[in-house]
Amino acid sequence: MSKHHVQAVVIGAGAGGGVVAKELSVAGLSVVLFERGDWVPYDAHDHDELISQRTTVLGNAYGPDDERYRRVVVNDDGSTSIVTPSDGAYNNVAACVGSGTVSYGAMGWRFMAEDFRMKSVYGQVEGSTLEDWPIAYEDLEHCYEKAEWEIGVSGDAKLNPFASPRKKEYPMPPFAYNNEARMLESTMKRMGLHPFPIPMLRNSVPYSGRPACVRRRTCCGFGCPLNAKCGTHNTVIPAALSTGNCELRTNCVVSELVIDGSGRITGVAYFDQDNTKQLQSADIVVIAASATETPRLLLNSTSKQFPSGVGNRHDWVGRNLQGHAYTGAFGLFEEDMFDDVGPGATIAVSDFSHHNPGIVGGGLLANEFTRLPYLFSGIRPPGSPPWGKAHKEFQRRYFRRNVQVVGPIQEMPFFDSRVQVDPGVRDAWGIPVVRLSGHRHPKDAEGCDFLSRKAETILKEAGAFQTWRHGSGIGLSGGQHQAGTCRMGNDPLTSVTDRYGRVHDTPNVFVADASLHVTNGGFNPALTIMALGYWVGEYISSQWQHGNRFT
Amino acid sequence: MDDKAGLTRREFMKLAAAGTGSLTLLAGCAGPKESRWVFLTEDDALLLGSIADQIVPPDEWPGGREAGVVTFIDRQLAGPYSRFQADYRKGLDAVTGTCLKIHGKRFENLPWEQQLSFLKDMEAGKLAGDAWKDGFCSRFFELLRNHSMQGFYGSPRHGGNRNYVSYKMMGLDYPQIVGQNRYRS
Amino acid sequence: MIRKLSTVSAIALLALLAAFGGFWWYWGSASPQSTCASCHEIENSSTMWAQSGHRNFHCKECHGTAFSNGLHSLKEKAMMVVHHFAGKDMRGIRLNEAQVLEMMDNCKRCHGTEYAGWLSGGHSATYAAIFLSEKHNSAEQLNADCLRCHGMFFAGSIQDLVGPISRKGPWTLATPEKSLQHAIPCLACHKSHRGGSPSEPANYAEPESVFYARRPAPAAPLYYDRYEQTHVEAADLPVLRVREGDRTVNSSEDPLQRLCVQCHAPNAFHEAGTEDDRTPRGVHEGLSCMSCHDAHSNDAKQNCINCHPAISNCRLDVKKMNTTYADRNSPHNIHFVKCLDCHTKGIPPKREP
Repeated sequence: MSKHHVQAVVIGAGAGGGVVAKELSVAGLSVVLFERGDWVPYDAHDHDELISQRTTVLGNAYGPDDERYRRVVVNDDGSTSIVTPSDGAYNNVAACVGSGTVSYGAMGWRFMAEDFRMKSVYGQVEGSTLEDWPIAYEDLEHCYEKAEWEIGVSGDAKLNPFASPRKKEYPMPPFAYNNEARMLESTMKRMGLHPFPIPMLRNSVPYSGRPACVRRRTCCGFGCPLNAKCGTHNTVIPAALSTGNCELRTNCVVSELVIDGSGRITGVAYFDQDNTKQLQSADIVVIAASATETPRLLLNSTSKQFPSGVGNRHDWVGRNLQGHAYTGAFGLFEEDMFDDVGPGATIAVSDFSHHNPGIVGGGLLANEFTRLPYLFSGIRPPGSPPWGKAHKEFQRRYFRRNVQVVGPIQEMPFFDSRVQVDPGVRDAWGIPVVRLSGHRHPKDAEGCDFLSRKAETILKEAGAFQTWRHGSGIGLSGGQHQAGTCRMGNDPLTSVTDRYGRVHDTPNVFVADASLHVTNGGFNPALTIMALGYWVGEYISSQWQHGNRFT
Repeated sequence: MDDKAGLTRREFMKLAAAGTGSLTLLAGCAGPKESRWVFLTEDDALLLGSIADQIVPPDEWPGGREAGVVTFIDRQLAGPYSRFQADYRKGLDAVTGTCLKIHGKRFENLPWEQQLSFLKDMEAGKLAGDAWKDGFCSRFFELLRNHSMQGFYGSPRHGGNRNYVSYKMMGLDYPQIVGQNRYRS
Repeated sequence: MIRKLSTVSAIALLALLAAFGGFWWYWGSASPQSTCASCHEIENSSTMWAQSGHRNFHCKECHGTAFSNGLHSLKEKAMMVVHHFAGKDMRGIRLNEAQVLEMMDNCKRCHGTEYAGWLSGGHSATYAAIFLSEKHNSAEQLNADCLRCHGMFFAGSIQDLVGPISRKGPWTLATPEKSLQHAIPCLACHKSHRGGSPSEPANYAEPESVFYARRPAPAAPLYYDRYEQTHVEAADLPVLRVREGDRTVNSSEDPLQRLCVQCHAPNAFHEAGTEDDRTPRGVHEGLSCMSCHDAHSNDAKQNCINCHPAISNCRLDVKKMNTTYADRNSPHNIHFVKCLDCHTKGIPPKREP
């Protein structure tokens, strides 16, 4: 494996890193793309509910594994626990080529213009670091469009009157509604809402040489046997590799940035597939390792110039960890609603995304992905027995007769919700691990209360004879929608990177993942991460072509 | 059982030796069959079967025991759930010990209603005894409940949900009948 | 001295041969419980075998011996010993694809007619015919789901089998020897350890027993589920109910048909006639696939005569009617043809003979 100098290394072959690697290698830069996991063929993990990315009781299908990885979680009482990736408290994202885009539910949402200007729209929120992004929706619009066309989104933009303006339609038509969505559509319309098919990073028709979806029930949390789900692993990463300029190094764990005596980042140190420490020098380092691993890498990279970690001069690296409180309601019906047309989620409304009285932000509402039998065994109305005869009867009576309407609430960034590195605990490579601490902002509970009531009203109107709401508690947020830990901003005192994702104080280090999110919107973030990948990649390559060597 | 063709001569000799050697070893295997359990004892398995039947009781559809929940738990304890081995050893012994103390009988020999109320006490953390201290009581019940549900509703490949019985019960087709897509002759 | 040595070695050789021969004889004649199944790893399998219709056959009659397929089996058995002492749980042990394919030679010793039928039909297609077909591969990108119905015993991923994974060829198989192997072997729909009773040869000395022996054995197909690496009894498979507009088509509950539709399936909404759905509608609605198709050759050549013209309402020679039965390009698909397709102005009254 060649270790000769390259122009750029990209760390993390997920939603952001895959896109950046493609942008840079197409522009002619030599790139090494690092991935801690490997390519995962479908057969390695097919449709086993207990080893998926959604239900991880027997392990994460797409990594990371429980043997080599761990994290420290600070509990409410100040004590700490060591957790492994199959534990929800780990706040895991997949470790494989494509990362979460292999096994996600694949909703392809654009954020709305308001999501980039939260402070301007809603004003200061006490106790929150709520802020406007340094870029506007209009800046990112063409990047969203690129993501939609290069990676592939199915949808019908005309049906959502709340969406911010776009220049081009989706490349593929929307998916047909399943039975419960047809039922919800008429209900929502009756209520004066504006339902539309969820934009999906999934082929509704053959696209880019890959087949159309056949709508299996195991989709969210699983890989696609048909290759019909669009991730970076089957679109931009192969495109990057086919340029001949990009080398993908799988099973390689980057441990720190290499800093020379003058404080310049000259490359990265990593453990290769044989766990041997290696160095890779580069002109540019792009970190896209997720909102927990990106700050970990920066914090683990210290030197005389960066005693508390690269980019952390003002203690903002790892701060403002946020995700999405998922909130909504369940409804029970007298007749079958389930028609086993996968993946379940097909219809949404954006009526409650913004401008809700008394609420900062809001969230979309959609019907939910198929709840498989084990997952469903944990879904019960309050007071219902969690085991025994009645539990079993509920399971068979209502599996086909329940509908869930649910959405991600826009969370308020909270300074003390954070990623640090633990001073004592190390992973299998001896690298200090992530330490998670903090909790949600109280405003999030108000949002959950608001949005779940809306969901419940819809289900009641649809004829559910029993409904109940659910929120997400006040505990630390993050999960697969983790974001915010290396926020972009114009002021180096209150942000980690500039508007192009370049880490303040280090001319050649960039971040290109959800860590950049100043706020996380009321939408699933994958398409926004991809768009930011284009945004950062485009900036680097155009600067490079104009002779800027980021020195 | 992957067939990786192309053995070297040296490998062949080793294998041939091992193969012939194995024939002579048969004598050692000819005794009574090994336990069908990997981790559990026969007593553990009886007890766990009764608990699994309380968590998912048999009715017109099979209960936890018949669906293979014990096999599921046994296999996981020797695999991904090896971290729970100590809890199971301690917990199952404590169930038997506590039952003998209260009722003079093992759990699996108690009448249905007494089993049920014992488990409800266990769920509520109300069992007395050193073994149940520090929240172990309800925590161990939680393990039993979750693992029984996983065994009953998860994939049969892990030892439970025999013949996809829970899927059938819930009216969920297995295998799902899905078109093979747009190819037409 | 030399003579003495050669005598000794000759005796030793004889003794060895006798021991080996004795062992061989023992191995071939003793019950599997004291031979093959003394490895507890295959206990499940041997228990199933003991309750199966094949219980009168010795293991090696279907599976061969450790020496019958060269180094592979020897290596496998040696590895079983290694794993045994390493404490590795090997109870999930399965035949590999090579063994499944080799076993077919033994299947056909008794089931020659069925084997010949299969060989003459579409289901005996080779890997090359399926996975190198330009017609298939340019219409749809090769993917993991192909292996659900073709190459279900293949042990790797689709990338391990064929490349490139793209709609533009030329495609090649990763291992050329696969090209002539059958992708859908006997065990795709059968299980040799399936529960049942051995068939008794007719005893013509007792005519009454001949009558009962003539009872057709119940059809015993199963669906091999690649993902669970196990067979599902056809009777346990879901019944497909296709929709035609707002109507649910009246379809047969024949277990064999449930097996067919696992692969010959409609779209996810189960709309009649979509994708590869051939659920009979129209004049043949409610019939099972097996009413017309032979299970092994899938041939339908002689089956019309079973119903037509004897009880035909039309009293026409149906074999000459314009349907896909007579002509593949006919607009009237034999699976879906309705009276009104031909009688576009309404169905005429019955004619007297």
